[in-house]
Amino acid sequence: MLLFRDEEHVTRWCDTRNIARGATITPEQGWRLAHGWYKDKLRPDWRRHTLEEAERLLADVGLTGPFWNLRG
Amino acid sequence: MNQPTDVSESLLRDVRLHVFEETARTTRVPQPAQIASALGRPEAEIQAALQQLAAGRVLILAANGTDIWAANPFCAVPSPFTVDAGGKSYFGICIWDALGVVAALGKDAVVRTCCGDCSAPLELEVTGGRLTRGEGVIHFGVPAHHWWDNIGFT
Repeated sequence: MLLFRDEEHVTRWCDTRNIARGATITPEQGWRLAHGWYKDKLRPDWRRHTLEEAERLLADVGLTGPFWNLRG
Repeated sequence: MNQPTDVSESLLRDVRLHVFEETARTTRVPQPAQIASALGRPEAEIQAALQQLAAGRVLILAANGTDIWAANPFCAVPSPFTVDAGGKSYFGICIWDALGVVAALGKDAVVRTCCGDCSAPLELEVTGGRLTRGEGVIHFGVPAHHWWDNIGFT
């Protein structure tokens, strides 16, 4: 996952590398997702999120639809 | 790559805690020989524990199958995603994980990277648990259910 100046730069980067464009999110969504995903990683009682918990994290940030489907 | 072998839960916990505590404290992800020395255990046991932790996606091994590439979100090698927090500088694997470093540390921080296209410097800042300065857009190139197919590319 890379940060770009704007959507136009994402498009140009994908086009020049012949890489399919994925999905973009705002830095605020990225922060909220990262916070939910990793805030406990240093804690002794850390455990991996369950699939359902991970799905909820994505949905809480507004990331829904086929691209964000964790089940394949 | 070696297949993971059974390792006690207590050793897995000890290795996990050591790796992440040491990384947060020093900014450097400890490698197998250092972990073995610190915990007073044979390196083969540590290797087995790391294999199992990697299988559980707790961390990511390098291509040689033995060294730690990332104690995700912390990257063991220099990357274009730096996190300055508490007077220390860390590396994240990607922009999401760089923000993950901030979240894991629970400190105010500045994430520095550059535009993936034009290399212009970009910064994000987190203060008091909130994103207080942000610019640009984050691009996910891989659909969520394929993230772990090739985590390095993702």
